Amino acid sequence: MASIALSRVGKSFGTHSVLSEVDLDIKDGEFVVLVGPSGCGKSTLLRMIAGLEDITSGTLTIDGQRVNDLKPKDRDIAMVFQSYALYPHMNVADNMSYSLRLRRRSKEVIAAAVSAASGKLGLDPYLERRPKALSGGQRQRVAMGRAIVRKPKAFLFDEPLSNLDARLREQMRAEIKRLHAELGATSVYVTHDQIEAMTLASRIVAMNAGSVQQIGAPLDLYDRPANLFVAGFIGSPGMNFLEGRCEQGPENSTVVLSRGYRLPLSVRIPAADGETVTLGIRPEHVTVAPDGQIDAAVELVEPTGLGIILHLIVHGESFKLFTTDRALLQPQATLRINLPKERLHVFDQSGNRLAVM
Amino acid sequence: MSHPEAVRSGAARKPAMRRFADAAEPWFYAAPVLTLIVAVMLVPLLLGLSYAFRDIQLLNPFSGAFIGLEHFKTLARDDAFYRALKNTLWWTGASVFLQFALGLVLALLLDKPFPGRGLAQALVFLPWAVPTFLAGLNWAWLFNPVIGPLPHWMAALGILSAPDNILADPHLAMWGPIIANVWWGIPFFAITLLAALQAIPRDIYEAAAIDGAGPLQRFLSITLPFLAPTIAITILLRTVWIANFADLIIVMTNGGPADRTQIVASYIFTQAFRRLDFGYASAIALVLLVLLLAYSMLIVVIRQRLIEKD
Repeated sequence: MASIALSRVGKSFGTHSVLSEVDLDIKDGEFVVLVGPSGCGKSTLLRMIAGLEDITSGTLTIDGQRVNDLKPKDRDIAMVFQSYALYPHMNVADNMSYSLRLRRRSKEVIAAAVSAASGKLGLDPYLERRPKALSGGQRQRVAMGRAIVRKPKAFLFDEPLSNLDARLREQMRAEIKRLHAELGATSVYVTHDQIEAMTLASRIVAMNAGSVQQIGAPLDLYDRPANLFVAGFIGSPGMNFLEGRCEQGPENSTVVLSRGYRLPLSVRIPAADGETVTLGIRPEHVTVAPDGQIDAAVELVEPTGLGIILHLIVHGESFKLFTTDRALLQPQATLRINLPKERLHVFDQSGNRLAVM
Repeated sequence: MSHPEAVRSGAARKPAMRRFADAAEPWFYAAPVLTLIVAVMLVPLLLGLSYAFRDIQLLNPFSGAFIGLEHFKTLARDDAFYRALKNTLWWTGASVFLQFALGLVLALLLDKPFPGRGLAQALVFLPWAVPTFLAGLNWAWLFNPVIGPLPHWMAALGILSAPDNILADPHLAMWGPIIANVWWGIPFFAITLLAALQAIPRDIYEAAAIDGAGPLQRFLSITLPFLAPTIAITILLRTVWIANFADLIIVMTNGGPADRTQIVASYIFTQAFRRLDFGYASAIALVLLVLLLAYSMLIVVIRQRLIEKD
């Protein structure tokens, strides 16, 4: 196992920059998830670590050794692809042992490694089968087995669960987590699914438009998003945002919403008097009360079983509320809601977080 | 519908005319197409086959009689035929092998991105668009030391001892049509193999690169297995076509010198259109047909085996 360090790593195609100055230290045994919308550069970053893409600038080290110019096979990493990328003309055992056979390991070593991996992944009954005779989940397991047998320094996962159906994805997610707990292998995992990121990661790297937005533990990103992008991207349904004007008082600041609602905050935020700010609140933190401060029109009611998502219109903007109170399933035209001040997030005009509530 | 029994007994008592019409109805609908297929495909085939058992010589107005297996008895003792058969093997084997090998190299080169690749891909297809007679004439002239440069170049490189026409040399003559055929047929392999190459998922190569496979190992353990079905079918097709393909030989050497470039297909042409012995030519054609059918069946069976093994 190994540590991976990226220092000011960048990637550009000609003059077009797709990734700028990424700094990231991955500790031995850590499970780091790169998450972001498609096109944010997360897959490119992973492929640069794997050696499948050139690194335009900066340095990449694995276990302290600079590997920028090393071929993929000399970096001693294993990768699991979204499409699984199994060799269709080889059976499961041959797929898993291919790397060891290329390294001319002895037959006994190969057989032992394959049977250990297939035992861990429940692939024993399928060793003689070709990939096309396997289900999606089984193929995914073979792809992981192929990575495990090599005992590489690090595992790289490129959206490995995206081709599976929802139930299988959940199951494989748990399996990857269990496997990581068991093997303790340094892992870098790319996904656009923020639930996968939240559940698997020891640390999440949230990316957007080719740059890192925030690095932190999953709940850190959830509770204290560094900017509007992370606030909106992490969490489902996503955070609600309302624009307002900041009024500074002696003890605390107050945000005045467009229709004159005054929301006093618990602290003084570092913003100029009269500056426009964005308030954020997660749907599950919004409360419904008969004497609530804000009027909301009910647009749509979505029961999810676990709870209810209410689609509201507040100040002409769409606004979501999540509740487990089934009484709210009753059709009604309007509601009164409260935004508890200890649950509010405040962002300045450029989208950066201003206050920790 | 309210009296099912009555309806059923009514069906049993249908008049014969009506039953015939019901049974024949689908055949009437299919009749125009069936007639066309029979007229266009089966009639000429059967007529051609029948010639093999008849004495048909265009210049002899009294010929045309049914002579049984007489042609085949003659054929069994015909040394020229056996020589042509041997030449056919040589011509087909060398042409297919070189076309395939060079076509594969070309396809691999064209698979890598480089500036101007689109134009190069279009140009590669060009020889295929040249009419075969024109290609044959062109190469015959290229090999002619009076007007063509090739003999002089080959002599300068030491391949030939003197700038002579290889088409006139009994030991080298077959190479002339083979080279022309290779030039003409490479695009077929290049284009079909290129299409197959481009269908191989890139991430399988990436997975192999990470697994530690070098370029040669990637070629052997990924490219070749992926290309195998295409290779099998294109080689089968080309083998049959080339074995039947006499145009270049007729134009370039006319089977000479001293029958050294005579293949079975050109021998048939010679018998039919120079000696005007259609009966004998048909008998040879029948033998060639049977040989090629046997070869095709063999390949089909092998392919089926391979698919079943999968």
